[in-house]
Amino acid sequence: MRRTHLLLPVIAVLLVAGFCVTVLVGFEFRGTIEHATAGWIEVAERTGAINVVTAIYLNARLFDTILEVLVFAVAVLGVHFYLTTRGRPERVESIPESNVIRIAADVLLPLILLVAIYVVVHGHLSPGGGFSGGVIAGTGLLLTAIAVGTETVAARFGPRLIERLEWAALLGILVLGLVPVLVGRTPLSDLLPPGEPGRIASGGSLLLYNGLIGLKVLIGSWVIVRHFVEHRGEI
Amino acid sequence: MGPLNGVTIAIVLFGIGLLGLILRRDLVVKLLALGLVNSAVILCLVALGARPDGAPPILAPPSVDAIVDPLPHAIVLSAIVINFAILALALVFVMLLVERYHTTDANRIDRASNDEEDEWS
Repeated sequence: MRRTHLLLPVIAVLLVAGFCVTVLVGFEFRGTIEHATAGWIEVAERTGAINVVTAIYLNARLFDTILEVLVFAVAVLGVHFYLTTRGRPERVESIPESNVIRIAADVLLPLILLVAIYVVVHGHLSPGGGFSGGVIAGTGLLLTAIAVGTETVAARFGPRLIERLEWAALLGILVLGLVPVLVGRTPLSDLLPPGEPGRIASGGSLLLYNGLIGLKVLIGSWVIVRHFVEHRGEI
Repeated sequence: MGPLNGVTIAIVLFGIGLLGLILRRDLVVKLLALGLVNSAVILCLVALGARPDGAPPILAPPSVDAIVDPLPHAIVLSAIVINFAILALALVFVMLLVERYHTTDANRIDRASNDEEDEWS
């Protein structure tokens, strides 16, 4: 019994490793990397973005990114659903943090939000974008939640409003992808002109998409964190 | 590229993660192993797109002609976000199981749920 218990996993791992090695050995680059990147640089120049990665995932592969945001939304909805149908958590009295942490959180929160906004707004110019900026801002909210308690932060936001705002951001992304049809272009194409590369107001619709995704990820990660903290309970 | 490149390290990490996923009985450790598998896949993709002395894929003046392949970076972004979503949802399910069976041991949860089924029949 014990032996088969170990044998099967080892065989599975060997099979997977063999598969990986076979694929990688037989892998053959068609053309050079210059050849491959030239097409993507063309995409970036068409959208007016400097960051080629952003130009790929918000223009050439926008369909994938929208579905990815949908997966994220479904996960947030799942966490929300399973933890609220479990009934209200018994209130665990939060231990008041020392003044050092509270004052530090007060000082740091505006700076963290500023960095988050910078990362979102410069998504098409430098590394960053909606996803990372949203998570940075969510971490700032987590810091405040540690300092003053999640209930206080949640009450300050208004849970109903924040949930509606989350779905409004998702709807905004979908509508923004469909609006070009009304103007007579293909769906998911650029709505705004590319502009002058290197400026913040450039890159077509990338800035709008980044902003909406940043809002969505900020609220989504905050909802997940809040539910986890509220239902920590005691085992 | 010598034998110690990103791809081989990624394969080793993938194996470690897969073994942890199968052999460890603690559900939380299983989820950590799942995260390790995901990181290994990310490392493999980025390492496949890398090249010696390649610049980051940003078309700022010094680095226009020698950038690395930007496509893996864009694909990996989906992998990171979906891994985050999967881990969050799986942790919720572990939370529900712990509340019901008071353990994170997969075998004991299995046995306890079998006993419950026997009681019902």
